[in-house]
Amino acid sequence: MMKKLTWKHLSFVLMLAILVLLPFVNDSRTLIILLTQIFIFGILAMSYDILLGYTGIVSFGHAMFFGIGAYTTAVMLKQVDTTLSIFLLSIVVGMFLAGIVSFVVGLLTLRLKSHFFAMLTLAFSGLFLVVAEKWRSITYGNDGFTFRAPEMFKDRITFYFFVLACLVVVFIALYRFVQSPTGRILIAVRENEQRTKSLGFQTLHYKVIASIIAGTVASLAGSLYALSLRFVNTSVMTMDITLDALLMTIIGGVGTLVGPLLGAAVIEYAQHTLSGMARDYPIFERWIIFFGILYILAVIFFPKGIIGSIRFIISNWRRKLKAKRKTPPALSHEKEGFE
Amino acid sequence: MMNTLLKLHDVHTHIGQYHILQGVNFEAMEGQVSVLLGRNGAGKTTTLKTIMGLTPASQGDVQFQMQSIKKSPTHKVAKLGIGYVPENQGIFSDLTVEENMKVAMRKEDTAAMERQQYVLELFPDLKKFWKKAGGHLSGGQKQMLSMARAFINDSQLILIDEPSKGLAPIVVEKVMEAIVEMKKQTSIVLVEQNFMMASRIGDTYTLIDDGKTVHSGNMKELIQNEELKRKYLGIG
Amino acid sequence: MELIVNLVINGLATGMLIFLLAAGLTLIFGLMDVLNFAHGGLFVWGAYAGIFTYMYTESFLIGIIGALVAGAILGLLTEKFIITPVYGNHIQQILITLGLMLVLQEMIKVVFGPNGVSVKTPSYLAGSWEFGDVIIIKYRLFIIVVGFVIFGIFQYMLKRTKIGLIVRAGVQDKEMAQALGIHIKQVFLYVFMVGATLAALSGMLMAPYSGVIYAEMGMEYAILGFIVVVIGGMGSFSGSLLAAILVGLAGSFMAYYVPVLSLAVNMILMAIVLIFRPQGLFTIGKERST
Repeated sequence: MMKKLTWKHLSFVLMLAILVLLPFVNDSRTLIILLTQIFIFGILAMSYDILLGYTGIVSFGHAMFFGIGAYTTAVMLKQVDTTLSIFLLSIVVGMFLAGIVSFVVGLLTLRLKSHFFAMLTLAFSGLFLVVAEKWRSITYGNDGFTFRAPEMFKDRITFYFFVLACLVVVFIALYRFVQSPTGRILIAVRENEQRTKSLGFQTLHYKVIASIIAGTVASLAGSLYALSLRFVNTSVMTMDITLDALLMTIIGGVGTLVGPLLGAAVIEYAQHTLSGMARDYPIFERWIIFFGILYILAVIFFPKGIIGSIRFIISNWRRKLKAKRKTPPALSHEKEGFE
Repeated sequence: MMNTLLKLHDVHTHIGQYHILQGVNFEAMEGQVSVLLGRNGAGKTTTLKTIMGLTPASQGDVQFQMQSIKKSPTHKVAKLGIGYVPENQGIFSDLTVEENMKVAMRKEDTAAMERQQYVLELFPDLKKFWKKAGGHLSGGQKQMLSMARAFINDSQLILIDEPSKGLAPIVVEKVMEAIVEMKKQTSIVLVEQNFMMASRIGDTYTLIDDGKTVHSGNMKELIQNEELKRKYLGIG
Repeated sequence: MELIVNLVINGLATGMLIFLLAAGLTLIFGLMDVLNFAHGGLFVWGAYAGIFTYMYTESFLIGIIGALVAGAILGLLTEKFIITPVYGNHIQQILITLGLMLVLQEMIKVVFGPNGVSVKTPSYLAGSWEFGDVIIIKYRLFIIVVGFVIFGIFQYMLKRTKIGLIVRAGVQDKEMAQALGIHIKQVFLYVFMVGATLAALSGMLMAPYSGVIYAEMGMEYAILGFIVVVIGGMGSFSGSLLAAILVGLAGSFMAYYVPVLSLAVNMILMAIVLIFRPQGLFTIGKERST
């Protein structure tokens, strides 16, 4: 057990070291921007995993929280001041707003069954999009607006480190959360809500907690995203954002936290290269098709995603080794897939 | 010598990760009422569902008229001539009594019409509420409709799951009479908690406990065997 | 007065198109317990296949047939390869049909080009009739008539034919239907194909109505379809007609009187229904099949 833990820690530290050192080795602007983008969507995808992977609910409204963060930061930097403290404050305000919205929406929606819940989150998200479009005095509608970044983050590399730090903090915090008793109960909800309820847990209560955490973390991702572009428009509230988070989570592996990070990397990277290739081969303009197909195949054949499938293979392999050593085969209850 | 109509040999059934049936052996003879007995949760209902292919067996074999139906999908099992009356009666509540009968009727020929005539005489209530929605029937009427539906096709065998459950004694009496009457034309497998009822109309019994067959034989023997009854049924 | 009449006709025509879209959704949901998020993809494929056939053959009728054929084929393929592997698993269904939606939408751009296509109403349906101050656009009336005719046909089939009985029985209790000898998976397939065909027809009829077709219209109208299914009650056929008319009328009146709200009104309607009456507005108690 101890051995496994250190192995995990080691790879975590190693990965972190590479990412910290990377800008000193190769400070190519495109690479730094791409990695920053991956980190931001990694945070978003991890927050989505709390819902989909750990609690077993499909939300179509995740973009709403991302958008709240993005608009809060953009509006505050534009209307108030472009200092670092205002930026940090805007992150907090955004998370707070997202927390309130996710609390209210969660209370209203989480009692419903999966289909209805998905529909209702879609509706709420649609309402927020309409607000963003119509409240032109603040949001400038569809066209959006540009704003200036705080002095410190004009340097792409400083911003890179800031986002990386956010990513690490969020990862550790979410990791501890899913390992906590509350996180365990969420998994129980995913596996069998009825039984969890009959064990005396207020499952609605726990689902709302999951929704608040996912919402606030998504808002953080939105704030960072807005600053990375120094521009915001209604696209941050659209279904596309939710779909991105969904694709990343599924392809990386639901219920693993690391999976969505990996999914974010795969998708952002592929999007980057494929749209580059589109200049020569127009078929790649439609890169989303490849993801759509990949995603369908993943749902049918690898519902556990990349990380989940690897884990499954490893655990199978270990079990076989054990069986060879003639220890009685333990019944494995590992169930990483979702209902 | 009577023929074996249905035979279950060492049947195992899994539902999700649960191993529900762990070796059920069971035979139903032609022209008889074969009763499955056992405590709540012993696996009687699952046995019926396994025969119907609703929860297919993972191991062992299910044979109907000497032919394996273990892998047959439910609708084919039904078409081979096995009728099913589930525990909750399975009435289509939005459909009228007439429509419930019509859905069940696979061939609308004169033979089916005759059988319909026959069951309507057996259960006059159904005729009375012919145009009433299934959901508005009483528990006893639902039970009768469900049995009538299973009988309307030329079924060689009808599986009936706890027909007495939740019914008033007088209605149970009626249902019993109907089963005795239906037995003249078809064979019956009956799951029943009510030992009084089971012992009165059953010809043979099979005792299931913890998903396994533990005993079987003639109903007359079981009625005398106080020890078996105490051990597996908690009576006597 | 003529304003009201025009708004009503507008609302009814839109409502009928949404009804055709929602009818398939609601039947598929009621029978198979599958919420098909790819339904909009079938809708937009119907529109494109139909309109391109129409432009090629110069016959609107053949165009409609083209849309129906495309819908049926896509429905067949979708049911066999996308839906069947994930029966009974709601979350996987949501995810996989959403993925298919993406693919169908992007495939439109690959096959027919990324730009919208403008569509002309066939000459015999173009123009309008004038009754005093009231102007009735022929094509809108045509849509309304088609919608009611299809509703009538389906209502008859569901209530009076054996096939309809089987579908209604399957909606209520799949296990029991099978135990009575009904090959439910085959029924699923047919119902899915019929639903897909209706969606394709809706897309085809929508095309001259909106004057232009584009890949994203699938998702846009599918959301309206979902709203209608939710308001009408999932699995309720006549409920979805009433809900579709309600949504159509609300949209057309709001667009005239409170344009700011016209985008949001349906979402708000659905949210209210889901929160206070999740079984749908037009279902009585638990009855939700016909």
